[in-house]
Amino acid sequence: MDLKLDGISHAYDATRVLNNIDFTIKAGQIICIIGPSGCGKSTLLRFIGGLERPTEGQVLQIGDPPAESLNPLTYIFQDFALLPWRTVRGNISLVLEDHGIRGTEADTIINDVLARTKLSDFGAALPKQLSGGMKQRVAIARALAVKPACLLMDEPLSALDSQTRELLMDDLVDLWLKEKYTACYVTHNLNEAVRLGHRVVVLSRRPGQVRDIVDIDIPLEDRLKHPALLQEKQDYLWNLMREEARAADLELLDA
Amino acid sequence: MPDLDTPTTVQTPSAAAVKPVPYRGGGFAPRPSRLVAPIFFVLLFSLWEAGSRFGWISPIVLPAPSEAFQAFMDLVNSGQLVLHLEASLMRLALGWVGGTVLGLAVGLAAGLFTLARGGIVPFVAAFFPIPKIALLPVFIIWFGIGEESKVATILFGTFFPTVIAVYGGVDNVDRGLIRMGQSFNLGWWSIVRKIILPGALPALLSGFRISASIAIILLVAAEMIGAEYGIGAYILLAGNLMAMDQLVAGVAILSLLGLSVSWLIGRAEKIFLRWRA
Amino acid sequence: MLKFNLGAMTRRSLFGALAGAVLASGFAGAAQADDKITIGALRFTSHAPSFIAYEKGYFKEEGLDVELKFFQAAQPVAVAIASGDIDFGVTAMTGGFFSLADKGAVKVIGGMMAEKQGFPGNVILASNAAYDAGLTTPADLKGKSWAMTQQGSSFHYMAGLIAEKNGFTTADMQLKALQKVGAMIGALKSGQVDAMAIVPHIAAGLVKGGAAKEIGRVQNLGDYQVTTIFTSTRNTEEKQDMVKRFMRAYSKGIADYLAVMGDQKKDPAATEAMVDLIHKYVYTDRPREKAAPSIKAGAVYLSEGAALNTKDIAAQLAWFQKNNLAPASLTLEKLVDTNFADTTN
Ligand SMILES: Nc1ncnc2c1ncn2[C@@H]1O[C@H](COP(=O)(O)OP(=O)(O)O)[C@@H](O)[C@H]1O
Ligand SMILES: [Mg+2]
Repeated sequence: MDLKLDGISHAYDATRVLNNIDFTIKAGQIICIIGPSGCGKSTLLRFIGGLERPTEGQVLQIGDPPAESLNPLTYIFQDFALLPWRTVRGNISLVLEDHGIRGTEADTIINDVLARTKLSDFGAALPKQLSGGMKQRVAIARALAVKPACLLMDEPLSALDSQTRELLMDDLVDLWLKEKYTACYVTHNLNEAVRLGHRVVVLSRRPGQVRDIVDIDIPLEDRLKHPALLQEKQDYLWNLMREEARAADLELLDA
Repeated sequence: MPDLDTPTTVQTPSAAAVKPVPYRGGGFAPRPSRLVAPIFFVLLFSLWEAGSRFGWISPIVLPAPSEAFQAFMDLVNSGQLVLHLEASLMRLALGWVGGTVLGLAVGLAAGLFTLARGGIVPFVAAFFPIPKIALLPVFIIWFGIGEESKVATILFGTFFPTVIAVYGGVDNVDRGLIRMGQSFNLGWWSIVRKIILPGALPALLSGFRISASIAIILLVAAEMIGAEYGIGAYILLAGNLMAMDQLVAGVAILSLLGLSVSWLIGRAEKIFLRWRA
Repeated sequence: MLKFNLGAMTRRSLFGALAGAVLASGFAGAAQADDKITIGALRFTSHAPSFIAYEKGYFKEEGLDVELKFFQAAQPVAVAIASGDIDFGVTAMTGGFFSLADKGAVKVIGGMMAEKQGFPGNVILASNAAYDAGLTTPADLKGKSWAMTQQGSSFHYMAGLIAEKNGFTTADMQLKALQKVGAMIGALKSGQVDAMAIVPHIAAGLVKGGAAKEIGRVQNLGDYQVTTIFTSTRNTEEKQDMVKRFMRAYSKGIADYLAVMGDQKKDPAATEAMVDLIHKYVYTDRPREKAAPSIKAGAVYLSEGAALNTKDIAAQLAWFQKNNLAPASLTLEKLVDTNFADTTN
């Protein structure tokens, strides 16, 4: 299943937030969206997942999601959004219960996703006992449990320290290599974009417009072997963004 | 004060005074102590008893604690305490449970629906501050002088603070969690049951703490109307008869009741809010 | 001004706070000269002698500089006298009063209202429903519900009188303490209680309006000293002369009242004049023409010369003690000081 963003524009009251956004998310690819803060990245992601409606344009599904997918468009949030009163297993079971999946069937799925996110030993833990990185892995496990057709990630690593971020990035890469999932990954961190993105969509400052779409042809598994190439891509992106970021910064100060 | 113009840096380090950095932290962190409260109480009661014995405190002003204790023991030995407690606990339980259930339903409605909130919030703001004692004559006409009016007094008293606690609690549930529920296609009722209610539980429990205290406060008012038995009725009678020893004994029973309720809710918080960081 | 010792002062202020909470009006002035006294009064027609003696200058004639302090209920008057904040009051014999007397704080010094045949007095009312079901005389009250303000109140005692007279006890009745006269009336009107007793002018209104039925009068049950004049024990011991002068002036007020209100038709002009005087203090929120009928109908009998029916007081004390509503240690001698008024029986 592909997703196509078709002429999306949006305004909150009088503030124009997004302006005529067009691009496609291809099945099996990770699309990174970068842009200065306040340019409408999170808003755009909410449109893609159907949590909000744009004032103009629409998000189209091209093809049907796989039949086994319980929740085709599944979010992973920056703040993890785990229920603090449920254990790790309970948090995963939460998203299965409404699909009538309980008992051994649920246990099988939960064991599977916990194993895939290396959390098998922590099923009974409460969120307050887990570190930030672990919490985000629980959120990823929960997302995997509903067999998404496309993962929608809003700065999933921003709340973590840089070491944990590195480790989780490796995990996301490994997972992609195994499962070839589709993802739309919002970040303001250029390094994440060049490490994870098959394609990077660069947005301008608010109102967000597509400044450029950059393809990164190096296979995900090989990227760390080509630091110079990556750095080149990152510098290119930074050049695109520098002016936007500076202008956006001043704008915020003016407001 | 050293003269700023004369260079003092020529001093060797060994000649400079060596002393620890002055400590400026500490304080502002009172810790619970198991010892202070008993000592404080024993001291207070001994002073009080002594004051009564030596005539510093007139018996018209305050009875000796031993007299109040004697009044309490009379109550126990005559078997009346059980009757009084039975009557009061029944009224408290019915009134509080009724007020809490209704309060939960109405508070949840106010927390979830725009229309309900528009109606309920001003209504609660208008009725909560009304002293329920002022409504007693109306309650007599509506509910009679039997158990109904007594239960109703407590029910009304607990209903309003519960409504406020519930919709306040619902408001404070992390919107991100609700959005998460929606993003996983959870049903409306699932979101209410599995996300909103547990998320509002801390506020609910502290609401219960308040509503249970209000229920106990209202017990005396509730038992003003035609009650033969009940701790409130016992206190009222003691007041009528100027029997200070019984009055103090009755008030002490109420505060013990308050302490027990507070302890129970404390336990409930420990059990149900284990997940809190 | 500062002659009190510290202990007395603290006690005074403690009670001042207690009594002040229920004070209807008046200001707190410290009693200083011997002949400056304060009387605790309620805005009832039965308190008229206070107003008459005050307005007609009988207190002045006795060298008493009187201040009237108004209260909402009788019990706080007793508390205020116990604390020394006021000097004289009038109250029914209640459990609370007996308790204060037992603690040596107050003493009865004369009689006031009494039930007497031929005068208005407390009326026994039945609810319409109970009346229709056969409650037509006080003797039928066995097993019926009875409204009163509080346990140990005069309404409670009246139930005891009725029961005793008819060969049963209050345990055979369902006594409903409703705290306020208004609540009693509401409960009777709506048939939630079967019966109660109430002062004559209120009873008249209820019966006339068809809200209840009269089934008897308390005065037919026998002698009953309803209210008494009382003061602090300290006054009876240390200021006997002042108390005597007070009683003389007060008796004059009672005499005036009886002469006019006891037979209102004898001298209509005098009656109207006295109604005017009383209306300055009672039913002040109503216009005179509305207040007058209630004042006239409420002109209960007051004991001549403030004479005290000690035999009945003894009987009342015994009843209260029997029902655990008065301390067992209280004796008639401790309760009453007979040096200041005649005693009857
Ligand atoms: N619900 C909303 N109501 C009004 N304004 C909003 C709302 N959500 C976001 N905005 C505004 O839209 C702009 C884009 O926000 P957002 O999409 O969160 O930016 P980003 O995620 O790129 O930092 C910001 O100026 C923000 O203040
Ligand atoms: Mg954002």
